[in-house]
Amino acid sequence: MSAFFDQYGFLMVAIVQQALLGMSLWYPLMAGQLSLASIGFYSLGGYIAAIMGTNPWFAPWREALGPAIYPLQWLIALIVSALIGLAVGIPALRLRGIYLALATIAFVQVLNVLVLITDVTGGAVGLFGIPQPFVSRLGYIWFFGPLLVLALIFSARLTRTVAGRSFMAIRDDELAAQAMGISTTFEKVRAFVIGCALAGVTGAMSAPFLNTWNARQSSFDASVACLAYVLIGGARSIWGPLLGAALLVALPEVLRPLKDARLIMNGVVLVVACIYLPQGLAGLLASLRRPGKEAGHA
Amino acid sequence: MNIALFLQNILNGLSIGAVYSIFALGYTLVFSILGIINFAHGAVFTLGAYCTYALAVGDFGLNGLLAGLSMPFRLPFPLALLGGSLIAGITGVLVERLAFRPLRAKGADALLALVSSLGVALIIVNLLQMLVGAEIYSFPSDIFGSLPMAMIVKVGGKVLAVRTVQIIILAVSMVLLVLLAWFMNRTRMGKALQATAENPETASLLGINVDRYIVSTFFISGVLGGLAGTLIGASFGLAGPYFGVSYGLKGLAVIVLGGLGSIPGAVLGGVVIGLGEAFLPPDYSSLKEAVAFIMLFFILLARPQGLLGRQTIQKV
Repeated sequence: MSAFFDQYGFLMVAIVQQALLGMSLWYPLMAGQLSLASIGFYSLGGYIAAIMGTNPWFAPWREALGPAIYPLQWLIALIVSALIGLAVGIPALRLRGIYLALATIAFVQVLNVLVLITDVTGGAVGLFGIPQPFVSRLGYIWFFGPLLVLALIFSARLTRTVAGRSFMAIRDDELAAQAMGISTTFEKVRAFVIGCALAGVTGAMSAPFLNTWNARQSSFDASVACLAYVLIGGARSIWGPLLGAALLVALPEVLRPLKDARLIMNGVVLVVACIYLPQGLAGLLASLRRPGKEAGHA
Repeated sequence: MNIALFLQNILNGLSIGAVYSIFALGYTLVFSILGIINFAHGAVFTLGAYCTYALAVGDFGLNGLLAGLSMPFRLPFPLALLGGSLIAGITGVLVERLAFRPLRAKGADALLALVSSLGVALIIVNLLQMLVGAEIYSFPSDIFGSLPMAMIVKVGGKVLAVRTVQIIILAVSMVLLVLLAWFMNRTRMGKALQATAENPETASLLGINVDRYIVSTFFISGVLGGLAGTLIGASFGLAGPYFGVSYGLKGLAVIVLGGLGSIPGAVLGGVVIGLGEAFLPPDYSSLKEAVAFIMLFFILLARPQGLLGRQTIQKV
């Protein structure tokens, strides 16, 4: 058993970590809004943790706080991400359709350029030697695991609250939701900011996990991967991001014998899943459980 | 700023802006007809550039399955450009078949088409990487035959460098824009395309075969993408199979700036962003890659329908 954890510990933690990124896109999608911002806030949160963990300016803080510096990093990442999410979300979410996706792509690109030219982020080289609270990679499950459980409980509760139902009403018909007295811009911004905050905290936890942080963390490919977790897992089920991340993170390991062709297979999986699993894996599971019924309403 | 530097910036801005425009037209044509952004457009751009390289130069490097191979023939650049663009056009049609048609047939969510087009982009880019490796290819200096690399013009005692490739880019773009305007406004097929973009259902009631026009749109879009890829490749080299990604994203900024789905908007957006990048003061040159996205952000704040877009009123 311990050999199993030695070999696959990193993989398991990576699945939970990526599932959290998927989850952060799940909230805006719940309100029918496509965002590609998560990877930017993930990068931002990671830089906050990396700078607080390595910059000499924070040395007295690290000494005074000890391991309590980690929750402080998460808190700061959460607040900063939520505030920037608000600034990006308000102009973009007044509009309908694809504009949020485009505004968030722009946000991530601008952030990447800024990171490359700023000294405190280490420029193109990035930041190294970020202090690690755990010896083994598997230990980080104590960071990501509780956060995922919290996020899942929060999501399950959300589908039963006024806020969550407003999100879903906007997804199903924005004009009708507005006519029913829902402030659509407010609700869309709310869903988006929840996602930004979650992505920021995930990033702050990931900087020690990966030990080094640089601009490559927020590539466009990584952005697409986050979206793929949700849509392949199932955007209408709270389990979707976890199922999608489990499949897509484990897949390259399973396909290792294919070598270079493996990335091509990733693309094939995306296309096939979109065509044959429109409700995602969660929808497939639901329809297996209740054959004949239309699957997957959250 | 002296007059020579000003003219130099105008020239650099217009030539790169013209390529942005051609590339963005490919996005905007598909968007105007389907209301979906084709995220495989950047990959088609890359593929077109590599195909032209294969047809015109034909020597492959040390990595990938084609390592060390040479093509049995070389085409002159204009023919290779045409060939590469046509292959890109055919790839555009394949993208439609693979990523868009099956979803349209099922009436699936538009978000899924976005992800499936990203999936096809992954396939194309990684296939290229497998075949020719990730190394940088550049067109040899004699690619335009006996034409010199650049002309030096003196303006007011200062030197102005006019690269041959810039002249070629400007000439090709002009010809292309005139052709496209003629095609869209003067031919039966172009008018049918516009009708389909306006309202697919009405168009199909009027006897227009909507599926056929969607395929044609993807073909034209692919040709434009491949052409833009080649022109960028001839100007700056082919920096690996991923080099289309950043142009793909910049193209999105261009179409939003000009107005989603607007053809003149895509042209104007490309030129504005090209000039914006060229006139960036040297002190801020590290921000060059951010210019397009900063512009995108401000246009969303100030005029979300873009410079030339129509404001649509949502009706129930």
